[in-house]
Amino acid sequence: MATVEYQRIGKSFGAFTIMRDISFEIADQDFVVLLGPSGCGKTTLLRMTAGLESVSEGDLLIDGNRVNNLHPRDRNIAMVFQNYALYPTMKVYENISFSLEVAKVAPAEIKRRVEWAAETLNLTPYLDRYPKELSGGQRQRVAMGRAMVREAAVFLFDEPLSNLDAKLRAHMRTEIRQLHNRLKTTTVYVTHDQIEAMTMADKIVVMRAGKIEQIGSPDAVYDRPASKYVADFIGASAINFLPGTVVVADGRPAVDTATGRVALEATTTARPGEKVVIGLRPTDVVVDDAGPLAAKSVLVERLGHDAQLFCDGADGRFTVSVDKTARFAEGSDVRFSIPPSKVHVFNAETEARL
Amino acid sequence: MSIAQVKRIAISDSPWPWLLPLVALLVVFTVYPLVYNVWLSFHEFVPRQRTLKFVGMANWVQLVNDGRFWGALGVTFLYFFIALTVEIILGMSVAMLLDAELPGFAALRAILSMTLVIPPAIAGMMFLLMEDAQFGVLSYFLGQLGLLDKSTPILGTSSLALLGVLVAEIWQWTPFMVLIFMAGLRSLPSEPYEAASIDGASSFQMFRRLTLPMMSRVIAVAVLLRGIDLFRVFDYVFVMTSGGPGTATYTVSLYAWQQTFSFLKWGYGATLSLTSLVIVMVMANLFIRVAKVRW
Repeated sequence: MATVEYQRIGKSFGAFTIMRDISFEIADQDFVVLLGPSGCGKTTLLRMTAGLESVSEGDLLIDGNRVNNLHPRDRNIAMVFQNYALYPTMKVYENISFSLEVAKVAPAEIKRRVEWAAETLNLTPYLDRYPKELSGGQRQRVAMGRAMVREAAVFLFDEPLSNLDAKLRAHMRTEIRQLHNRLKTTTVYVTHDQIEAMTMADKIVVMRAGKIEQIGSPDAVYDRPASKYVADFIGASAINFLPGTVVVADGRPAVDTATGRVALEATTTARPGEKVVIGLRPTDVVVDDAGPLAAKSVLVERLGHDAQLFCDGADGRFTVSVDKTARFAEGSDVRFSIPPSKVHVFNAETEARL
Repeated sequence: MSIAQVKRIAISDSPWPWLLPLVALLVVFTVYPLVYNVWLSFHEFVPRQRTLKFVGMANWVQLVNDGRFWGALGVTFLYFFIALTVEIILGMSVAMLLDAELPGFAALRAILSMTLVIPPAIAGMMFLLMEDAQFGVLSYFLGQLGLLDKSTPILGTSSLALLGVLVAEIWQWTPFMVLIFMAGLRSLPSEPYEAASIDGASSFQMFRRLTLPMMSRVIAVAVLLRGIDLFRVFDYVFVMTSGGPGTATYTVSLYAWQQTFSFLKWGYGATLSLTSLVIVMVMANLFIRVAKVRW
């Protein structure tokens, strides 16, 4: 049980600075996901937390203590690696018990904890096997077991599910979250998969090129993305962006785009004449014969529970979630509308939310 | 052979056109000498008549009752175990030191392999001179350190001669072990070490629980390669001591050589070399079975 604080953290490799001025706090028992594309610095930040990379600038605090220069073994953390990093020459039991052996825990207690972890992770039949005799999913669970028995203050996960197939990934997602609900250990979880972030996190930290783009709950990040980048990154189906200019029509703010005029909420901070980009999520757009947006239908992709309609508009490809029974002839004109509250407005230059 | 015939052979499904040259080489240079050696061990050369006479089991009976052979076998085993143990421990230590990326280490790694280009007989001559009691540099320094009485010739003293030969052996062949171990160390994955450092393991625990087990295959290969070579030790003892003083450094290969070429006892020499071949084969197979690594 612990808090983690990042105070103006920076990281350079030689003259090359990859991260600068990272500051945020993780509350006790929180499950925080660091989300971003590869190369954004999320794994480096995690490895700095673990003590596997040095901190170039700023202070890293675990439970209020500065740990910048502390050896990994003295930080009271447990980590699950992307490729699991199991000990190839040790059997599953020894893999899980190694940290306890090293810490000179009593043999009876080691046995109890290993058996508990194996029980929890359904690994009991495999305790006598070597890692190479296990499947990917089983190896992943051994790596989790190794972290669990530690009774560490903080769990660090480095893209632990990226080597699993889609079905197993979805399964392990719920397992990890359930485990957290039970153990309540403060967790930092790194991923590039926004679905993992949305489904597991208490708090998401969206990163971009060594900087934090937005910190917030999954709902906050989805409903009020702080920038065009976040809006683009979060969401199962890619958001539609339309460039345009803010106008006042009939006394109400709106955005004129090549695809049509989109009404904004009266409370918007966007000023008339301002160049903006609006973001419209496919799930928020509705097919509406009297709607202001027009495009030509191209293709319907059926996903089982619903379908995606791809259209070509004046601003390029435009995606809309539609009922799976709906039929659209290729090349037919389709019109759409969207409630003003669902329109995300970003400044065209700074890409920040307005 | 016409071109068409060559073509037909080249594209035929039979493996024999490709295997035949190698099989022929093997038969001429390995199978035939081995069979001849077995045949020879049941015969003996009679110099006056210049013929080989069938003697039945006489050579083998002589072998079992030959105190010199058993003595030579003891010396060979002693040489084998000391050299192998020292070369493994020293080789592993040096490999781990040189594995670090420090300035100048790349050059050191290159220099290290230079002992291997010197012919063993020449290396033996070098150490023969260095261990000379009158002007040998090694004897001088050992004397300065108080480890050796100045008038004691290392290679001329029964209790020291084998060690004197072993110094040359270890000097020349430890770098071979270093090269093999370094290649092994470089192929180890780094992630388990990161996991272990988070798990709280000390450097020694990482070495004992990760490095050694992960290196076991490499160590097994090194032991096998070097072990087979060590058992046939000839050059160093031949050049440095000729087996003396007395029989202090008398090895099985040296004994077989002497019986064959000095005393012209071709049959007994064949019996001796065949025996050491069998011992090496049995030991190597036992080792492969014991050292089987499961992970």
